[in-house]
Amino acid sequence: MVSPAVALIGVFIFVPMVLTIWLSFHQWSTQTGFEAARFVGLRNYEDILGPISVGRDFKRAFLNTAIYTALSVVAILPLSVIFGLLVYQSRVAGGQFLRTILFSTYMVPMIAVALVWSKLYSPSEGPLNQILFWVGIGPQSWLSSPDTALYSIVILNVWQQVGYFTVLAIAGLTQIPSSLHEAARIDGANPVQEFFGVTLPLLRRTLLFSAVIAVINAVQVFEPVALITQGGPANSTNVLTFHIRRVGIERAQGGLGSAMAVMLMLSLIVVIVLIFSLARQKEERA
Amino acid sequence: MNAMTKIRMAAFAATVLTPFAAAAQDVELTYLTHWAPDTVKLLEEAASAYSEQNPGVAISVRAVPFGDLLTTIRSGGSGDGPTIASIYDLWLPELVRDGLVAPAPDAVSGEVTSEWPEGIAAAAAVDGQVYGIPNEINVYALNYNKAMFEEAGISAPPKTWAELQDAAAKLSTDGKQGFGLINSWAAGVVHPFASLLASNGGALIADGKPQLDSQKALETFELYETMIKEGYTDPAMGTSDANTTGPFLDNFVSGNTGMIIMANWWESALRAGMGDDFANIGTAPIPVGPSGDTARSISYSWMTVVNAGAEDAEQAAAWDFLQWLDGPDSGENGASAMAGILQSMGILPSRTSDVAAFEEALGRPFLEGYVSSLENARAFPVVLGGQEFSDALQQVIEQLEYGQISAQEAQQNAQADAESILERAQR
Amino acid sequence: MTAMSPGRRSLRRIRRRTGNSLLFVAIVAISVIAAFPLVWMLLSSLKTPAESMQTPPVWIPSTPSLTAYREVADVIDAARSFWNSAVIATVTTAGILVTSLMAGYAFAKYRFRGRDLLFAVLISTMFLPPIVVLIPLFRMVTYMGLDGHLFGVIVPYLANAFGIFLMRQFIAGVPDDLIDAARVDGASELRIVFSVVAPAVIPAIAALALFAFVYHWNTYLWPLTVLQGNTEDYPIVLSLGRLLSYNRGAMNTGLVMAGATLAVLPPLVLFVFLQRFFVDSIVSTGVKG
Repeated sequence: MVSPAVALIGVFIFVPMVLTIWLSFHQWSTQTGFEAARFVGLRNYEDILGPISVGRDFKRAFLNTAIYTALSVVAILPLSVIFGLLVYQSRVAGGQFLRTILFSTYMVPMIAVALVWSKLYSPSEGPLNQILFWVGIGPQSWLSSPDTALYSIVILNVWQQVGYFTVLAIAGLTQIPSSLHEAARIDGANPVQEFFGVTLPLLRRTLLFSAVIAVINAVQVFEPVALITQGGPANSTNVLTFHIRRVGIERAQGGLGSAMAVMLMLSLIVVIVLIFSLARQKEERA
Repeated sequence: MNAMTKIRMAAFAATVLTPFAAAAQDVELTYLTHWAPDTVKLLEEAASAYSEQNPGVAISVRAVPFGDLLTTIRSGGSGDGPTIASIYDLWLPELVRDGLVAPAPDAVSGEVTSEWPEGIAAAAAVDGQVYGIPNEINVYALNYNKAMFEEAGISAPPKTWAELQDAAAKLSTDGKQGFGLINSWAAGVVHPFASLLASNGGALIADGKPQLDSQKALETFELYETMIKEGYTDPAMGTSDANTTGPFLDNFVSGNTGMIIMANWWESALRAGMGDDFANIGTAPIPVGPSGDTARSISYSWMTVVNAGAEDAEQAAAWDFLQWLDGPDSGENGASAMAGILQSMGILPSRTSDVAAFEEALGRPFLEGYVSSLENARAFPVVLGGQEFSDALQQVIEQLEYGQISAQEAQQNAQADAESILERAQR
Repeated sequence: MTAMSPGRRSLRRIRRRTGNSLLFVAIVAISVIAAFPLVWMLLSSLKTPAESMQTPPVWIPSTPSLTAYREVADVIDAARSFWNSAVIATVTTAGILVTSLMAGYAFAKYRFRGRDLLFAVLISTMFLPPIVVLIPLFRMVTYMGLDGHLFGVIVPYLANAFGIFLMRQFIAGVPDDLIDAARVDGASELRIVFSVVAPAVIPAIAALALFAFVYHWNTYLWPLTVLQGNTEDYPIVLSLGRLLSYNRGAMNTGLVMAGATLAVLPPLVLFVFLQRFFVDSIVSTGVKG
């Protein structure tokens, strides 16, 4: 019964995963068969962590990915809770409508998101700088400056993803028994106290789940970089998915690319374990 | 269940994959390029003209964005990829090393050696063996906006770096940049740099060894540093996208950039974007640096190669088609069909007979400046690891452009990177 | 608690009313911001090239025209791309449904040695970004002769951890009696999965189908890698990337925006009509997980 799924996942995920690890210790041109790989020990790792361009580019891509991921998660989680509360409340109309609008952005292919936002960000013909001008803020460089390009991509990611996480937050909110809210109100809690005393603690599991998914989604950023910025300007938007593909497939340096992929995998394991243990620690304290 | 999956797959394969099966005696060739649709149409017309003369050979053209071209060629090495691909000469050594491109038959390599200028033919060969038929050649020159020059009271394009800085200073007023530097696109960053370096008497690589530690290279890095510090150039106005267009082009088209070093192929883009204002654009030699004696430039060529994984019959048909396409019988007035297509984009053909056939057209004002730069142009170094070398140098130059490192640091990093990359490419 | 005086109560009502209108304003504002990029995309697709290049930007096209859409049809074979997207999304989704139902049923209703460990191992692949296995997977698919074809895009993704997880959650809630009764009637296990269990978890199947369909309609990295420039087989998202190569800077913004609008429509329409299923599935996975 499980064999089709196990066979497929085994062949197309576990086998290449093991191969990635194996290749990371080899010099191998992606153009040749696996048998052509030559064992080089830890040299690929030394190269990607070293001071020459291979190492600088990788470390920069790693850092960019980390910043991008952290900012995405930090922006998405609070927004998803706020938006979730707006949808969930029943005092004024429009909640369902907001949910539809927010979630529909999640349906849009990332490639279209990237194309549209590249036009929104256009320094002269784009509407964003025009709007800023109306409210008295000078034009921003958005994608054309290394100081702002990565943040600009974070913004478009948050825009696309926040709807999904809002629905997750709503799901979490519906699970909180209304008796707890009533009890808090009877105790004289104001809405702010109620939020921090009842709502937030009970949303912890949802937020934990959201955080993990948001991290996984964020490290996969590819389309805006591949299509719009090519990792630039000055490497400021070079992220791992783009960089690993460039090294491993375009330059055919399969061993180096695999070593980078292994580093990504290890870091993800560390981050996910950290998120879970952080949550568990809090749970124990609570 | 496994049986079910198999049936499902087989049924799927039967329905979806059938169109790919071809009749045995016919040859189907695919031609991969990054050209725009209007140019692709011209190529398709040429291909059908060939098919009429050679029934049984069908040629289809596939176009992908420039940014995807190398990856597509690389991943297409297994036999299912395109039969013919248009490539940038820098990519050839690695494609040869990985066995992706087929050596040219003797007849073809003989023709390439005899009918093309020596330097261009050399770029289509590795260790003496010809692998491709060269077609376009591109060279760099200084493009400037005459209307902006007039407004700023500058009478002639700059001949030296000092004049370049002077002109840039005068042109850099309220939101306009005197001199445009491109970023986020390797060739757009590295080629203009290499052209300036060449005009300062230097080179990127000589005898397979990087030469970026020279005084001439340092002066070039310092030129960039000055341009940035003085505000003669605004990097934010120079970004490019995966298709080698974007703000750097828009800003030159809309008269926000006074001067820029670019290659002749962008004529069609400028014409399309500027309309009548295109007449304002002048072409001048690269300004000469303090250690240089004459205006030099950098050139690079493109060629068509044949997939080594293709069937023998396909390879033979592909070479025959390419020989015809690039030969003197396929176009008008003794020119090749390829040259006609290239000229539609403002690109210089490289076959000696094509240059002669298009002599008149090549004398038009915009192109003339480029054609005359060809004489003193050096081919961009084609070496193993060339693309990676180019990418690394691009990063260093961009860091300098955005004020993240000094000219000295840029020079040190660039040389160290280049040494390590070229050394690694050999092992 | 003491009863509030009438004055305090009305003050409270006023406060509540201003609070409500603030809330409403917030909802409207967020909706507008969220919808803005898509609205801009639609508006831009109707502009003339000159309007697209204007500074400051034109907001509403003066003479909306569909020229850009016609141009899209010139540049890419849109019908073929849509068909390719539909084949990729449909076949992959069908595969995922079959494998997930079977595996989900086994993990929910069977007891076998190593079950929980196997489940955990399979589920862990949910956290693996595709780039980690991209390089060798690409090579493997080439070995199998599937590169350059739609088949190569589809086959590696016929099973996934999320689907198995979702199905296990839902099938666990199907009463054992129902399954036992079918067994007593002599039904084979495969028959039980598809004619007893599946009908009992229709909402989950619908949700999984929608998610898988939209995901594989939108996915970009893998088809880009495996199709290697075989543009005939490009799904619409890849063809959209190709549009950019015909785009000289700002000049053809309309063309790209028209292409984007076309590509966005199918998943968006699907969502608007079937929103309920999406939301329910998120609720069930988010909370039960």
